[in-house]
Parts: sequence; structure tokens; C-alpha cells
Amino acid sequence: MNTKNIDDIIALSEELRWEIGDDFHDNLSESIYADASRIVEDAVTKDNKKSKFRLDARIDKIVTSRIWGFPIMLFILGAVLWLTIIGANYPSSMLASLLLDNIHPILKDFGTNLGFPWWLNGFLFDGVYLAVAWVIAVMLPPMAIFFPLFTLFEDFGYLPRVAFNMDNLFKRSGAHGKQALTMSMGFGCNAAGVVATRIIDSPRERLIAIITNNFSLCNGRWPTQILLATIFIGAVVPESYSSLASLSAVIGIAILGIFFMFFFSWALSKTVLKGEVSTFNLELPPYRPPVFWKTIYTSLIDRTLIVLWRAIVFAAPAGAVIWLISNVFIGDQSVASWLIDSFDDFGFLLGLNGVILLAYIVAIPANEIVIPTILMLTVMVTGISGGVGDGVMFELDSVTATADILRAGGWTLLTAINVMLFSLLHNPCSTTIYTIYKETNSLKWTVVATLLPVFAGFIITFLVAQLWRIFI
Amino acid sequence: MKNKPQSACETCAHFNADGLKKLGVKTGDFDFVVALAGNPNTGKSTVFNALTGLRQHTGNWPGKTVTRAEGAFEYNNEKFKLVDLPGTYSLLSTSEDEEVARDFILFGKPTVTVIVVDASRLERNLNLVLQILEITNNAVLCLNLIDEAERNNIKIDTRILAKDLGIPVVPTSARFQRGIPELIQTISELANGKIKCKPRKIKNIPKNIESSIQKLSKTIEKEYPNISNSRWIAFRLLEGDAQIIEALKTGKIASNEY
Amino acid sequence: MNYNPITALLIFFGISLLLFFVFRPKKGIYSLLKNMYHQEDKMIIEDILKFLYHNQTSNKHITTNHLTSTLEFSNDIIVESLKTMLANELISLEKDSYKLTTAGSEYALQIIRAHRLWEKYLSEKTGFHKEEWHERAEKKEHELSQSEIDKLSNLLGHPKFDPHGDPIPTKKGKMVSSKGIPLSSLKEGDIGKIIHIEDKPDIIYKQILAENIYLYSTVRVIENNPKRIVFHSEGEQFILAPIVAGNITISLLEKDEIQEENIARLSSLKFEETAMIVGLSKECRGESRRRLLDLGFVKGAIVAIDLLNPLGDPKAYLIKGTSIALRKDQASKILINRN
Repeated sequence: MNTKNIDDIIALSEELRWEIGDDFHDNLSESIYADASRIVEDAVTKDNKKSKFRLDARIDKIVTSRIWGFPIMLFILGAVLWLTIIGANYPSSMLASLLLDNIHPILKDFGTNLGFPWWLNGFLFDGVYLAVAWVIAVMLPPMAIFFPLFTLFEDFGYLPRVAFNMDNLFKRSGAHGKQALTMSMGFGCNAAGVVATRIIDSPRERLIAIITNNFSLCNGRWPTQILLATIFIGAVVPESYSSLASLSAVIGIAILGIFFMFFFSWALSKTVLKGEVSTFNLELPPYRPPVFWKTIYTSLIDRTLIVLWRAIVFAAPAGAVIWLISNVFIGDQSVASWLIDSFDDFGFLLGLNGVILLAYIVAIPANEIVIPTILMLTVMVTGISGGVGDGVMFELDSVTATADILRAGGWTLLTAINVMLFSLLHNPCSTTIYTIYKETNSLKWTVVATLLPVFAGFIITFLVAQLWRIFI
Repeated sequence: MKNKPQSACETCAHFNADGLKKLGVKTGDFDFVVALAGNPNTGKSTVFNALTGLRQHTGNWPGKTVTRAEGAFEYNNEKFKLVDLPGTYSLLSTSEDEEVARDFILFGKPTVTVIVVDASRLERNLNLVLQILEITNNAVLCLNLIDEAERNNIKIDTRILAKDLGIPVVPTSARFQRGIPELIQTISELANGKIKCKPRKIKNIPKNIESSIQKLSKTIEKEYPNISNSRWIAFRLLEGDAQIIEALKTGKIASNEY
Repeated sequence: MNYNPITALLIFFGISLLLFFVFRPKKGIYSLLKNMYHQEDKMIIEDILKFLYHNQTSNKHITTNHLTSTLEFSNDIIVESLKTMLANELISLEKDSYKLTTAGSEYALQIIRAHRLWEKYLSEKTGFHKEEWHERAEKKEHELSQSEIDKLSNLLGHPKFDPHGDPIPTKKGKMVSSKGIPLSSLKEGDIGKIIHIEDKPDIIYKQILAENIYLYSTVRVIENNPKRIVFHSEGEQFILAPIVAGNITISLLEKDEIQEENIARLSSLKFEETAMIVGLSKECRGESRRRLLDLGFVKGAIVAIDLLNPLGDPKAYLIKGTSIALRKDQASKILINRN
């Protein structure tokens, strides 16, 4: 190989480029397609007479029609979410009773019998095991329902039609219609939603979809919303309306999330992302009946288990940290209560408190353990009975008992509303942050995606708290 | 149609059903590398799964496989490693998935490239096929979703198509395992040099451009006499592809390492 | 600590307001400071050179007063720079008007080359909106070194024209000359091709952009009077004020040069009509253009509408056996021939 010759080749190519001008790509594409159509003329015959009825076209007419397009879409999304939330209840509580109520004591006894010191026993089984068990119990059932359902619609070919129907709304905020799907996927799990943005092949719109995915209220956050709405919002209205009121509050939060998603998509596309390349293309593939069992199987393997595994990997150290901060003492105060004290003033400014802020920091790995952590820390700080022990997360079967603990921790309606808002508007969980980094390969965008929702959350809760205190 | 066997070749002498082992992800030692390329939505991943026995998820949706997936199968005591490339419409642009696909065909030097196309949308798919045939000589066209095409009353004369393209053409319907034995047999024959390809090169290019391409590709051949895709490299140089210029400088373009 | 929600709110809004004034784009304190810092001698000299170059052709006498009133620098700095330039023989003084020397006009051409190449780069390789190209290039032209400019030119394949249709000078300062007349001077019935759209002043340029008038499209003038100019282009009708039309340059076409009269934009295709694609408009650039070509929107392809959208946009087009959705702004850059 001769460097000079290579340089000559490159020099020649540059010279020829100048001669040809900038139509080369056009000409080449045209030539290839011209070739292709000649080959097809030779080898393919199509009998047009017979193909009168196209089922595809019929379905398309309906699912993109002015009258039916949007109702069908909303109905399907609603049905999928309803099935996920309601359907997951039973297996979730079964898993919880198995992992938390049965296996956990067995493990602790096992440790005691083996002569583990109390701190090792606590660290391993109250800390690490409990966090992992919690994440599995809360996360696995909804994901095992949501992802296969979603995948079935995907394999059938319906989802590109949703992107087609919704594109105009997303275009106005500088985003891609396919973001409607990554957003919906985010209702299941933000990490999966971020991975799903691969279907958006335009760099700018993909970044927008990644950064704003966290505004979709994920599975890990629905239970928090439902619990708080039931306790605090349901209580303000007459009892016959309470479930309706709490339901509307939860849906309201989810819709608020969609609003923020649109707002920040718009803001990002007009500011930091305006220089990124933007293209649009959307193929509407033919409908194909999904291979039912195979789809169920592969979506479980591909999406559910992978996401679950990552969550477990992150939850285990979180459990360790939670146990440690409540059991390691500086002077006569545990690290946790010391941190809570120092967060209290800032928390008050946001209409929250130190316990909540600390819970959100240690629960970065998984939103599922926010409520158990809050309960544990509240019991620890107030010294009321109800807990199992320092650093041992717990949840109560009865909603009233949970309400009593929270009220004892100084919670008001404002606190509940702001926690619901903050649960929507805070940093993504660490699984999602890690996924964002892997997908974007950029520290910058990972930091933006992480901090943007927290700051939005600070500002919104702050404003709500001040206005609440002024007017109510 | 009713009397037609599911696969015409299941019983014929060529295909040796006992010689086939689907090895899944066990890609340790292998004799040949096979690349799987194609447009999005052509059932490429289904073909991949049918060949390897794996169950990679496929979505009816472009852009699902962004990274390469690998699997393997054994046929007549020879091991084939199969690499599933991202589905792309073309190899001429600069998006991430196109680069992955292109780099593998160009630098990965697969022994055989299987190009999966949707039989009902042949013309659109040929865009990619013709580009791949500029890069590599050893390829087979997998005319997938042939059942759908039959339902749409599209008839494809595979002999004419094979003659026009200069590569073997195998109609398949991977979902129903139709044509997979023939595909494996063809891959094996190609890998062992029993079938020789004479792939079609892109014609109809405007004269001034064609002459530039020839000038450039001749100069490239002078420097790299063993290169078979100098014309395609000329295309890329005329588009100012920085990666190809780099590969040319380092000599990677002619090496067998990847 | 005396907490009061109203005080807290006031402090919050105070801080927000402060941040707004510091970081607001263009007029914010931060960007003003940044600009101050960047107002180096080089930039002023180069801007003066460019100004002189652009006014060279019109034979205007450029005096110090002209320069101080048009350029946005303080008068002292301008006078100071003029002295340096005279000393370096970039300009010469005849009576009271400044002229470019050969060295000066070569230098000016290189600045123009940097500017136009950067605009081309922004149009091909980034997603910045057309409106921003000029302003960004105004800054960048002073920052690029000679070797960076050459690299840029190479990356772009040595383009001959910038995205507004202005010729880009070569490294040696050669430039393709393009002869054209303003659209406002065309007579009724005249047919021509848009070869240049002026990007200054901003207000007029934005009006042209809003009308979706594209470079290299053919126009036929229907009406021209002091009030308005009406013309047809790519199947649509446009009405412009003469002052706006004056910023569009046309190259008149002879009768035999006119190829196809019934060219229209794909966006005007109706449901259940079919058409043949004639080509892509030059306004469709970079990655978007490549994508459309890859998807089969090439000359000679037959296209029809496959699906309408409940919200009107995008529409799905049936092309080469596949249904592909395109937004209206994309479809308007694909030219078709109805038959």
C-alpha cells in the first residue's frame, strides 16, 4: 500500500466530485430504482382483476377515520392500562405476601440460626433482600401484562397507525408521531419507553422522545398516586364520590404529565435541540396476524425480564443504603434522621418534608420503594408504633393505617398533592438514567434528561405550596 | 395450489434434513459467516429465527433491530454463524443502523449474504438488493412472504429474477417454515463454491457520472488489485464518505479483519 | 427565619426575572458580554471588507460616515481599524471614499466563502431553521481558519452555490457569475426560474419564507402592477408586494427551455388521483432528501394518496407498493406531474 497513491485516489475523487456537482446522490438513487423497475417488469406479473378486496385497506379506513380513529385509540390505550393496573393487583399482592410475609421471616430466622450478627442479618435481609423483593412484587405483574399486550398490537401493525393519527399533535411541539408510542410505552416503564425510541430515526425527535419519556407516569408510580389519592383526595368529598374523585385525581396527574411532555418537547425543540438534524418518515406496514404465544414469550423475555433484571440490580444497593442510613449513627442521631433534619426546611418550601425528599433520593433506583421508605422513615422520626424496625421497609394492608402514619408524620392535603406532583415530576429512576446513557451515548443528554424533570418538579411544587398557603 | 406440498424440496435429494442442527446462540467455532440483510418489515428476523431456532423478537415495525444479533446452525457438519443486520431501506445514507449493516457487509466479509425481501414489494426492496450486490459477490435472494404475494395474486418468475440479478433466488415463507430447507441448501452450496454468482451491477447511470466512476474505480483497482467492489467504493468516494476515505487510507478496505 | 409565602413567591419571581435578563437570547447580559468579548479587531476589519466588497459593484462612494452609520461598532474602533487596514494595504483612500485593494478584495472573498460554505453546511448537515442560517454564518465566518474552510468545502463536496443561490467563491477566489433580474421587473406572461432568494433584510426574508417559495422553481407572472405581483409556480398561486418580489432573483427562460408546464407539488394531490414524480425540489436538503430518495420518491415513480389523516396532516402516500406517511412540508417539496 502506497500512501501517495491513496492520496492520489482521494484527490481524484475530489476533483470528480466538483465536476459532477451535487446531483450525484439523486442520480444514483434514480438509476437504482430505474434498474429495479426494469427487473420487476421482467419477472413479476400481477393479476389486478382478482384483488378487489383488501382487508388492510378496510381496517385502515376505520382506524384512521375522522370519527373512529381517536375513540379506538383511546379505548385501546385505556383498556390496556386498565387491564394492567387492575389485573396486576392480585398477582402483586400474592407475590408480596409470598416474598415479604413468608420468605422474609424465614430468611431472617435462617440468618439468626446460622449465627449472623444482627447487623449482617439486617443489612442482607432487611436491606438488600427487602428492596429487591419489593421491586419484583410491584413491578413484575404489571409489566408481564402490559408488555405482551403492547407487543401484540405492535406485531399486528396497529401502532404505526397510532403514530400516523397523532403526528399532527406531536409536530406542533416539534416531535415525531412515533413519540405517541414511546410515551405510551413509558406508562409501562420509562426504561422500556426510552429503548423504544429506536423506532424514531430522526436524531432530534429521538432525543426529544428520550428526554421527555419520564413525563409518562410509569408502573412504579401508579400505586403511589392511587394510594395517596385514595387517602387524601377521596377524603375531601362525600363518601359516595370518593372513589370517583381519587380516580379523576390520578388520571388528572397522568394527563398533566402528557401536558408537560408536550410542553418540554416544544421547549427543547426550540432551544437546545434546534440544531440537531430532523427528518420525518413513517412507513405504514401491512397488517399481519401476530403469532400469539410466540409474541407473549418473546416480549416476556425481551422486555419484561430484561427491565426487571436491571431494576433488581439497582434496587439491591438501594436497599443496602436505606438500611445503612437508618442504622449507622453519628453521635446519637442516625444518618437518616440527620439528613431528614437538614432537608426539612427545603422540603417545607416545596410543600413536602425532609422524609419525602430523603425517600426520593434513596429510592432513585426504583420508584416502587418510595412509599415503603416514606412509611419506614416516618415511623422512625415520629417514634409512633407501626414499624417493624429501623431500616426495615414496610407497607400496611389497611389504607386507614397507612393514612394514620402519614397524618402522624404531619401530612396534609397539600403534602399529598405535592407528593403526587413530585412523583410525576422528578428524576427518572436509575434504570432509566442508565438506559438513557446507553441509548444516547452522551453524558450531556443524560444529565439534561435527569435534571430537567427534577427542576420542573421543584418549581411546580414550590408554586403550588406558596399559592396554597396564601389562598387556602 | 391445494396439492402442492408445503415445501417442494423436503423430499428431494439435495436437502439433507438429518444434517441440520439449529445451534441457537452457540456461535463458538464456525466455518462460514452468513449475513442477513434486508428492508425493514420483510420478516427478516423470522427468517433468522427459522434458521437458527432462536426466538428473537420481531416487530411489525421498521427499525426494531438496531444492533447485530448473532446465531448459528450446523448443516452437513459445517457450522454457519448467522449475523442479523439492522433492517434498512438503503446503504447510501448515514444513519446509525445503515452504518452497522454496511460496515458488516463491507468489512466483516461474510461468506454469503442472504438478502431478505418482501415478495409483494419487490421493486422497493430491489433498491437495497442492487446496492448490496455492488458490495459483495456471494449472495442469495430470499423471496420471503411469498404466501402473502400469492394471496395478492402476484406471480414472480424466480428463474428470470435469478438470471437478471445473477444470484440464486429462493422463495420462502419463514413463518410457516416454507422454503427454509432450500435456503439452507443454497447457502451451503454458495459457501462451498458449488454455485457461482455473477451479480448484476447498477446500470442506467448518467454517462458523465458513469465515466467518472469508471475512472475512479480503475485507479482504486490499481492500488488494491484484489478488491472486488471498487465500483462501490467509487460511489462512496464521490459522496465524500469520510469513513470510506479513512478505510482506504488505513488499508482496512482490503483486509480480511473485522 | 420569618417564612411568608408571599415573600417566598416574590423572591422566586425576582430570581427568575434576573435569570431571564442575564440569559435571554441575543439581548441578555450574558450574550451581550460574550459579543463584547468577541468584538475583536479581526471581526471589525473583516466586516468592513465585506461591506466594501458588496458595495463595489454599485460604484457607491463609501466614506467613513457610511461605515460608522451602518456597522454596529463604536466609531472610534471603526476609525482605528480603518487606519490599520490602510497601513496593511487592504484598502486605499481616494479623496474621502474607501476602495478595496487587490489584497483586500481577495481577503473579502475568503470571508464570503466562509460565510456561504457555513450556510451550506447548516442547510445540509444540521437542523437549524432557514431563518437562522445567515445570522449564524455572520458569526462563524470570523472564526473559521483557512484549513477549516477547506475541510468544510471538502466535506460538502465543493458546492458551487449556497442555499440562497449565491455563488460560493473557490479557494482561489473564483466565483460562478449568475445573471438574473428581480422578480418585480418581470412582465406579465414572463417565465423564469428562481435563482436567488436574498436573506437580508430579515423582515422581507421571513415573508418570503412564510409564502413557501422555493429556490430553482419555475415561475410564470400573471399580473404585475405597483401594488402587487401575482405569479404561478409549481401549481400554486403566489401574491407578493413589489418590494418583497424585488428580493427574489429570476433567470428568464426562453420558450424552448420551458420543459413542463403542469408541474405541481405533491401536497396538492387529491384523494384518488395518481401522478408521476418529476423530482425533488432543491429546497429539500441533506438527510431529508436522502431519506425521500431511499424511500422511492424518485423521478418516474407513480404516487397516489393511500390514507387521509383524521387531523389532516400527515397523509400516507402509496409509492412502489408501500404506504409512506409524509408531512405537508415534505410533500410540498416533491414535484409531480398529473396526467
